[in-house]
Amino acid sequence: MKLAYFSGCKIPFYMKDYDLSFKAVMLQLGVELVELPFNCCGYPARKDSFEISILSSIKNLAIAQQQGLDMITPCKCCFGQFKHAQFWYQTTPGLKARVDEWLASENLTWEGQTQVKHLLSFLTHDIGLARIQKQIRKKLSPKKVVVQYGYHALRPFSITGFDNPFAPKIFEQLLSLTGVEIVNWSKSTECCGSPISTDNRELSLKILQNKFNTAKKAGADYICTACTPCQMQYEIATSDAPVDDQNLTTLLFTQILGAAMGVPGKKLSETGELPWDLF
Amino acid sequence: MFKLFFYTSCIIFILGLSLQMYRFRKEDRFLNPDKKRRKSLRGLSAFSNTLFQVKLFKAGKIRWIIHFLLLVSFLYLLIVHGFYSVTADLLFADYQPTLDPFQALRNAAGFLVLVGCLTFFIRRQLALWVNEDRRIRKKGRGSVILILAVIASGFLLEASKIISEPVFMEMVEEYSGLDGGEDLEDLKLYWKDNYAVFFQEQIETSPERLENGEALNEAYCLYCHSPIKSAAVSKPLAGILTTAGSWMNANRMDKRLYWLHYGLCLMVLICLPFSRLSHLLLIPWTSSRRHLTIQDYKNDSVSINAMTLHACTNCGFCSQVCSVHPNFQVHQNPDILPHAKIESVKALLKNPSSIDLWQLNTGNGACTSCHRCTDICPSGIDLQTLWTVLDKKLLQMGMVDNNRLIGEMPLNGWMAKKEFVYPGKQAKGIPVGAASKDHLTSNLADRIESFEKCIQCTICSNVCPIVDYDSNNIDMSPHQIMNLLRLGKKHLATGTRMVWSCLTCYACQENCPQEIQVTDILLELRNAGSMKADWIQKNRLIEKVDR
Repeated sequence: MKLAYFSGCKIPFYMKDYDLSFKAVMLQLGVELVELPFNCCGYPARKDSFEISILSSIKNLAIAQQQGLDMITPCKCCFGQFKHAQFWYQTTPGLKARVDEWLASENLTWEGQTQVKHLLSFLTHDIGLARIQKQIRKKLSPKKVVVQYGYHALRPFSITGFDNPFAPKIFEQLLSLTGVEIVNWSKSTECCGSPISTDNRELSLKILQNKFNTAKKAGADYICTACTPCQMQYEIATSDAPVDDQNLTTLLFTQILGAAMGVPGKKLSETGELPWDLF
Repeated sequence: MFKLFFYTSCIIFILGLSLQMYRFRKEDRFLNPDKKRRKSLRGLSAFSNTLFQVKLFKAGKIRWIIHFLLLVSFLYLLIVHGFYSVTADLLFADYQPTLDPFQALRNAAGFLVLVGCLTFFIRRQLALWVNEDRRIRKKGRGSVILILAVIASGFLLEASKIISEPVFMEMVEEYSGLDGGEDLEDLKLYWKDNYAVFFQEQIETSPERLENGEALNEAYCLYCHSPIKSAAVSKPLAGILTTAGSWMNANRMDKRLYWLHYGLCLMVLICLPFSRLSHLLLIPWTSSRRHLTIQDYKNDSVSINAMTLHACTNCGFCSQVCSVHPNFQVHQNPDILPHAKIESVKALLKNPSSIDLWQLNTGNGACTSCHRCTDICPSGIDLQTLWTVLDKKLLQMGMVDNNRLIGEMPLNGWMAKKEFVYPGKQAKGIPVGAASKDHLTSNLADRIESFEKCIQCTICSNVCPIVDYDSNNIDMSPHQIMNLLRLGKKHLATGTRMVWSCLTCYACQENCPQEIQVTDILLELRNAGSMKADWIQKNRLIEKVDR
């Protein structure tokens, strides 16, 4: 299987671990990733300009279509934005014509067939739990883990079609294959606060702190994410003074899955360091 | 005379350099008022990027080949030809400019520099004509023209010397024992045929005379003069100049061209600190600076040396890979693109009132910090860090973001300004200065069907995390916004805290029993508010300037 890898803006420089571990897991599963000259997904511009955000997304889809590839992204905001853009591109009067004109100025067109997949839904639906199960080499220690769903993939369900928006389960299903123990968390589907982290840092950290507190109360040892802004928000917060330094460590889903598949630590993280008490 | 000019130019060069250094230091302090000293040398990358332009190689192979050949040729000319009086004895046992391989190499090197510079020039010019993005800035042509002039005058000089009878006579006087008579005539004849010298008077030719000429040539000239055909450029040029040979020789054009060539070389030296040529010195220096790492960003110790900005050659690679290029397509704000933005930053450092601060601030605001510009920059400038530093600097200069602007603005102030025009340049199809309504939206907030079904059940407000966490600051909750729309108060709604603090988490929309697209409506209101805030920002700046 061959897919265009949409890393988004933050992964290549700020989250090299995510990049490494995502590629390692995909390699293990026999998925070939192609890197194309994509631009921003359009999510950051969404608040300021409807047109920019749609154009950015559709342009990426057109670039993927040029190569005849579907796209995969490990970021939920990118994923959600692509779905969002496809919906509005097809339904807003006049928008398609305008976007197509912009695309045409760079010799691009988009016919509308390109599929965008998120890491989690791709693993569940396209690869299948059984095949992943077979790849698991070692069970991890049954540490208690909660999952951060990332709402841009979940909602609105009518557009993203990711999983049941009120009681999602694909993340837990995938994670439980690795042997860690999943703990129920009331805030699992709530926002991490990342969208307002620059505009309203105080409020953003307040939301985050509550997430840490409730996760701890639920008995969790770790929080697991599968989304770029979520992970960055949790990581920045743990290094930030205003937030309690007793906070839980946040793990990248791809690192956990990779470790369970027996991928060596060096291929999952730049420093080769993982929270070893998991393994 | 020669030395006087040379030393004067050197002094001007050193003065110019010190002046520039002083300016860079001043700019540096302006840009990073609270800079911490960092250990920041990267010797290896400076070495490889200076000698082999490794980063340019990664960015574009064809451009690298042209640039590399140009640089090697230029260095060859500078070292072996320009400073032959110093280097010749050190490097070569018996250097003579008219002996091969030096004669051939000089011509080849000159040709390569000429072709390279012409390619640069045409490419830049073409880019200005053809490519929309690059029309934004046009710089760096002066330096190319100067180098072209140096090379062209060099070739002309060589050609004029080839055809020059006076030079021939001087040489004969100095190196042969001949003073007039048959032998000299024979030598002239031989040189006329084989070395393209132009002689005023006609000499009768015969095979015997030529033979004698050849023998004399062997005796006196050959050990310093390789066959003229190795001067691959100058020889054909000399052929052209022969048509004006008598005039050229009578006016001693070789001497004039010598001073022109020499003067132009000194001009290069003098201009070095000020023009785009300075990248010869600045790229090695810039490449030796360490780029900031994620750790530096996390520690918040972000600063950039202002001198590195001047290593920019405006090559435009950064804008080709810029993640937010679509933003430029829509808003046509040149300061979104790195290669244009850096020019604005330089202008800002020179004179803050000379640039459109709003444009720079909005352009820089579009950056998603993807780091691609830093990664590709052939000059090794840490562009990403520059944008981060710039962001802080603009904030210091009073350019608040729209969110804070609205937060600090009383609602009646917001309401007082109803009609507005988006201040940026507009995309194709939208006339400049078009009203904000010409921008397409999700078209919900103006259509009564999209919110009229609201029954004010408050489920949206009950599930909203912002209402939950920020109850002290929030002015309206989502169901109240829906009600505002029903009352026809969209304009008021665009300025509410709820709209500006919304996480866009879609909890309200997903839970709405009436299937109203609550979040999408809030987003649309935010878009409208954002455009208006841009307009207010811009007008504030204009008012400031007017005062």
